[in-house]
Amino acid sequence: MAILEARSLTKRFGAVTAVDGLDLAVGRAEVVGLLGPNGAGKSTTLHMLLGLITPDEGSVTMFGKDLHRNRVEVLSRINFAASYVDLPGTLHVQEVLEVFADLYAVDRPAAKVAALLDLLELGPLRRRKVMELSSGQRTRVQLAKALLNEPDLLILDEPTANLDPDAGDRIRTLLVRLAREEGRAMLITSHNMPEVERMCDRIHFMAEGRIVASGSAAELAASFEADDLEAVFLKVARG
Amino acid sequence: MTTTLPPLATLPPLGARARGRRVLGVVRRDFAALRRSPIRMFEIVFWPTVELVLWGFVTLFLQTQKVPFAVGFLLGAVLLWQVLQKASNEISIAFLEDIWSRNLLNVQVSPLSSVEYLIGLMVFSLGKVAFAVAVMSALCLALYGFGVTAMGLGLVPFMALLLVMGWSLGLVGIAAVLRFGENAQVIAWSLVFVAQPLTGIFYPVSVLPAPLQTVAHLIPGTYVFEGMRTVLNGGAVPWGDLALAALLDVVYLGISLAVFGWALRYARAHGKLSRFGE
Repeated sequence: MAILEARSLTKRFGAVTAVDGLDLAVGRAEVVGLLGPNGAGKSTTLHMLLGLITPDEGSVTMFGKDLHRNRVEVLSRINFAASYVDLPGTLHVQEVLEVFADLYAVDRPAAKVAALLDLLELGPLRRRKVMELSSGQRTRVQLAKALLNEPDLLILDEPTANLDPDAGDRIRTLLVRLAREEGRAMLITSHNMPEVERMCDRIHFMAEGRIVASGSAAELAASFEADDLEAVFLKVARG
Repeated sequence: MTTTLPPLATLPPLGARARGRRVLGVVRRDFAALRRSPIRMFEIVFWPTVELVLWGFVTLFLQTQKVPFAVGFLLGAVLLWQVLQKASNEISIAFLEDIWSRNLLNVQVSPLSSVEYLIGLMVFSLGKVAFAVAVMSALCLALYGFGVTAMGLGLVPFMALLLVMGWSLGLVGIAAVLRFGENAQVIAWSLVFVAQPLTGIFYPVSVLPAPLQTVAHLIPGTYVFEGMRTVLNGGAVPWGDLALAALLDVVYLGISLAVFGWALRYARAHGKLSRFGE
């Protein structure tokens, strides 16, 4: 059974069709990339999957349950991080994690928060205000927050966009390990093609609200007669 | 690659313990934000104190002019007005802080339900109102010799009725921001002030023109301030009027919850929640 299944998702904003009849599935332990140029409809798609935007047509099913009818149950089993979302800046790192541990009703929250501070190397920063952290450090706090409930599905919108190569590599390594060793499914958007090649089992390219190509990185490169995913991206983006 | 997931890390999401934890999370978040912001701590007591001192001097002047009951009427009114204003503004501020800190999306994609979120905001605002009222009551006694206990048993329902009315107005303010975007913050701040001239806070409703008196009697706060004056004048607590105010509060709260729900659905349908995060 797919963890996430979206069927015929459509969203229009006035005359603009942001997402047009999109079908998407993510299986357990699978890392799926959603790529495309700016305005392709990636974030709108993710936000529909998270219940932030109500689709005009189509359905979102997670763990076999309709998202809109089982919002609390479904959202307690997934989590989200994005480069454009922040956390309460005046709170200490540990306080932020404790607050979200409550919001996700995490069992044994103190132990979980301590483990994540350790995993994301945030221990020395636990008493620092979020607003005082660098963007890379904030991204690590966001990821710690996203892992609090041990989600079966992680939805990540450009998770390493603000990171230097070293920090980005550490985060990618961690995410791949979570998928491979703990069986967590992920749906990721990114403009970093080497990152997508390294992390994703399957990739969907979006353009003008539709999925225009799907497959593994190697399959896509072969079908577009391109050297790598970046070349595929350019071909898709330029029509 | 393993396909067996570890045991569930969260409490059963629809159980009472999980619901309680999520409400606690909202309260904990607001309390931590308050604790880390000395300016906001200062603000809780600053404006009430300024109003109290201002109106305190007015009462001293009126006393010299032999105006009867001036001290109790005006100081009691200032104190109860603060309950109404703070109840309204505090839940709006808590919501707006999620927007200002770009944290709204994190809250909206958590399993926190709207009802749990609103209960959390209300519980926290109750704490802040109680703190502000305690400080103001102490100042009233110390500076002007006016004890809030002069309002007798009526004090509890007076405050409770104003709290509920304030929360209702605050919810409509939040709904305005959800519907019209951040520019509608001014509505969240100012909505409660629309009630100020109509509810007879500092004067009897009988001084209003007849049409406005009709409007005034559709506002729960009117019965509270009229009741306060009755009690301070030596009369009994007008329980019948307070029951009517409670009924109006139920209507107000029901309407404001419906407006909030509609605005949230509108925001989701039009992608406005997403834009708050950008």
